[in-house]
Amino acid sequence: MQQEVVLAMLAKEPSHGYQLRARLRDALGPLGDAMNAGHVYVTLTRLERAGLLAVERPADGTDRPDRKVYALTPSGQQRVAEWIAEVGWPKPDLAEFHLKLIAAASAGLADPLTIVDTQRRELLRRLRDAQRAAMAEPDRSNAALLLEGIVLRLQADLRWLEACEKNWTHRRSVS
Amino acid sequence: MSEAADMPVLRARGLRKEYGKGEGLVRAVDGVDLDVSAGETVAIMGPSGCGKSTLLHLLGGLDRPSGGEVLLNNRRTDNLSEKALARMRRTDISYVFQSFHLMEELTAVENVELSALLAGRPPRAARRRAEQLLDQLGLAGRSRFLPSALSGGQRQRVAVARALSNEPLIVLADEPTGNLDSAATLDVLRLFEELHESGQTLVIVTHDARIAATADRMFSMRDGAFVDETRLTGGTTGQLGALVGLED
Amino acid sequence: MGRILLVGRLAVRDLRRRRTEAALLLIAIMAATMTLTLGLVVRDAASDPYQSTREATNGPDVVASTGQFADLADLEKLATASGVTEHSGPYPVIAGKLETSGRTSDVQVEGRDAPIATVDQPEVTQGNWVSDGGVVLEAAFANSLDVHVSDSVTLGGKSFKVVGLAVTAAMAPYPGSSCIVSVGCINGAIPKDGNLPPGLLHNPGLVWLTQADVRSLAPAQDSMSYVMNLKLADPDEAEAFVDANSGDRGGAMMPMQTWTSILADATEVARDSQILLLIGAWLLGLLAVASLSVLVGGRMADQTRRVGLLKAVGGTPSLVAAVLLAEYLLVAVVAAAAGMAIGALTAPLLTESSAGLIGSAGTPSLTWSTVGLVTAVALGVAVVATAVPAVRGARSSTVNALADAARPPRRTGWLIAISARLPVPLLLASRIAARRPRRVVLGVVSIAVTISGIYVLLVLNTFLSEQPAIRAYSEAQVTVLRHVLLVWTVILLSLAAVNAIVITWATVLDNRHSSALARALGATPQEVTVALATAQVLPALLGAVLGVFPGGYLLFAAIITITDGDSNKATLPGPWQLTTLILATVLAVATLTAVPAHLGGRRPVTETL
Repeated sequence: MQQEVVLAMLAKEPSHGYQLRARLRDALGPLGDAMNAGHVYVTLTRLERAGLLAVERPADGTDRPDRKVYALTPSGQQRVAEWIAEVGWPKPDLAEFHLKLIAAASAGLADPLTIVDTQRRELLRRLRDAQRAAMAEPDRSNAALLLEGIVLRLQADLRWLEACEKNWTHRRSVS
Repeated sequence: MSEAADMPVLRARGLRKEYGKGEGLVRAVDGVDLDVSAGETVAIMGPSGCGKSTLLHLLGGLDRPSGGEVLLNNRRTDNLSEKALARMRRTDISYVFQSFHLMEELTAVENVELSALLAGRPPRAARRRAEQLLDQLGLAGRSRFLPSALSGGQRQRVAVARALSNEPLIVLADEPTGNLDSAATLDVLRLFEELHESGQTLVIVTHDARIAATADRMFSMRDGAFVDETRLTGGTTGQLGALVGLED
Repeated sequence: MGRILLVGRLAVRDLRRRRTEAALLLIAIMAATMTLTLGLVVRDAASDPYQSTREATNGPDVVASTGQFADLADLEKLATASGVTEHSGPYPVIAGKLETSGRTSDVQVEGRDAPIATVDQPEVTQGNWVSDGGVVLEAAFANSLDVHVSDSVTLGGKSFKVVGLAVTAAMAPYPGSSCIVSVGCINGAIPKDGNLPPGLLHNPGLVWLTQADVRSLAPAQDSMSYVMNLKLADPDEAEAFVDANSGDRGGAMMPMQTWTSILADATEVARDSQILLLIGAWLLGLLAVASLSVLVGGRMADQTRRVGLLKAVGGTPSLVAAVLLAEYLLVAVVAAAAGMAIGALTAPLLTESSAGLIGSAGTPSLTWSTVGLVTAVALGVAVVATAVPAVRGARSSTVNALADAARPPRRTGWLIAISARLPVPLLLASRIAARRPRRVVLGVVSIAVTISGIYVLLVLNTFLSEQPAIRAYSEAQVTVLRHVLLVWTVILLSLAAVNAIVITWATVLDNRHSSALARALGATPQEVTVALATAQVLPALLGAVLGVFPGGYLLFAAIITITDGDSNKATLPGPWQLTTLILATVLAVATLTAVPAHLGGRRPVTETL
């Protein structure tokens, strides 16, 4: 989980750990289920150590993580502002897969076409699941919007895989 | 499971369609074998020009194969007369086209009932069934609209209603979302999922992965032949998180 | 100048792309202009037959003969009577018998010379004028005997060669000729119980020989009669002249005929043929215009789309209109010229055989007014055909025009509801018809006009068949009139057939998509074929019924009124005849539409969808 995301979720107001988790799950829908509680708290602790978050001790003095209230420090707020203004886009795995095919072909490790087909099948199954999930969500909800993005991305990736298949088939017939 | 349930509704064996001869011979469909079981949704994907539309025409009796067989419920259809094929299209097989092919001068309900009227159903029964189908497909208030007053997605829904009008064994869909924008596509996707759930057998030809992903089985087609078959059922919901990189 | 070239180039290129359609339009306009021309030319020729002959031959105002009592000297005195400006003759005339390949007829033989007479020089329609040993027959007389130039005939026992046929204004054409011989003549049917004086000529024809030959045939000098042609200073005074000069002169009466009475005789004979020709001309004109509207109306939808295309590649509405107009003008002008030429060339075929009947001289020619009218009709069609789609195209958006949405099929709600209850072929047929109601109307009108025409032609045919002895028609005349009737019928039917085929073809093309869709939804090819054909046959049935009643009846009444005829003489067709006519029409239309409909029903579905 990106640290900046957690910071940003606290920008509106300080909140308990469990409130944060709830807000995340609400925004991510079924994908949020995959998140495990531990992840969130680990991130929160890291951010605290980095000085971007400050903890307000609970009144009863216990040290339970879910009872802590987290709030942004001034440097935390600055970091959030910078993050919002950035235009980076999460890196897709294209280069890695591309290199995988070339390595497999040149070293004779496996048939690149088989690799492509296997990957395609996997992506298709994922597409199907994401689509099913999207249709189960209410229209125009946060979750539905996210899922639509995933579906479209997968569609684009599948198109690229089709191009890979065409290209590698041609290479084979030429050689 | 009983044997009857196992018997495929639609079978194709060595299906071929060729045009021209000698140097100019074009193999639009080159030896296709296909089994479709009852209640299944089968998708056929491929780039344009790979012959998938031709294959669909052969399966549905709109065109005659140059070789091979097509069997519907174990009866051969490729050697039937034009008249028998027409009767088959009334009751057993129906079509959904990419460009909807609705009659422009008929209202939605008149378009849907046309199928039933051509099959000889009494007009009142045909009208009732048409209204019913439009209702089920969410077009209750628009049954008296002309196609020009409907959106693309709504028109395709009318086309699907028409296809269902005579309770066919199989619905063949040729690029059903080809002319639709993404919102309408989602609409039709939902529709096909609902059809699938209701037990309708579907064969869909498409180049859109999203439509293909609704199927139980998917075939990849290239240069007139199937090159790959993928079974898509088998949920991987648990791995959804991996899709968004929530685990790093 | 550049713009005109551009328009021209675009027009030619467009025409070349749509060759079949341009060809069909050409044929239709050509057929229409040909029939129109034929009708107009024949009308011109038939409307005033005697007058044209009179002018061509310098016809006489008064014809005087010696008859039974007068003598040559009295006749010659007339040449110098007051009011006479010119004269020709006196010419000798004898009675005779003409024999030719088994047929015999009484004749009056007039002796003429080779030099041209100042008054009444008969106009030679075939061959040459008299020469020694040669005989010239009056045209109508020759027709009735089926005698042609260079045939041999026997006259008064001697053999003569037919050197020519001619028409004259000095006498009404056969069999209405006046009597200029002393023995007397009788025209028409011979009364059965008549006590006729001997030597009376029966229905004599008129022939000309050289004067020498006539004298050689005459049995005796005093059996010859003489005839003289006079021209007066004031033709209207002819009656007065006759009253003044033919009076009792010692008991001798000199028979004289004024040109007005000859005109009456000529007209009497020609009247019925004239009516026939005029009727035919009108009918054809009507049908020609109807067929053009059918073709143009049927293809107008296509024009709107092409307007859209031209606009899409950058044409302004005015440029587009100019290109469309240029295309139609090109086709229309060529077609009109061809049609007029063919019409003018074929008109003599019709009028020649009846030339003698109507006594007109020379070949009917294209008058400027005819050329003008026909060209105006052809161009008028061009303008109308262009104007409507050009205006529509200019008004509508390019996208609409391209998408063919400018003329979507008409929706007739009640008809769609009713058709749902009909069996499949009728369901499809009624919906096909309902999509283009105007075309259906045109089809009905076209058949109605044709059947009205046939109705009238039937009446005329019956009239000709039941020829009692009331009229003086000879067999030959009846044959000729029948011939004319046949020609009209053939043309009428051909034009109607072209119409029917064109409408069906247009309907099939128009319904390609819905036919294919119907078949994809489960209609058999036979059902689609029957539907396409029925969509033509039902309007044809309606048209046939309307054509019989009130169409034919009204047309007949109108013609009677126009020509001042006597409707009592005609028997209207009976109910059996009419029913047969209607059934025959339906059958004919069904046959004609069968082929395009069959082709339309069998077209592979996948091509269209």
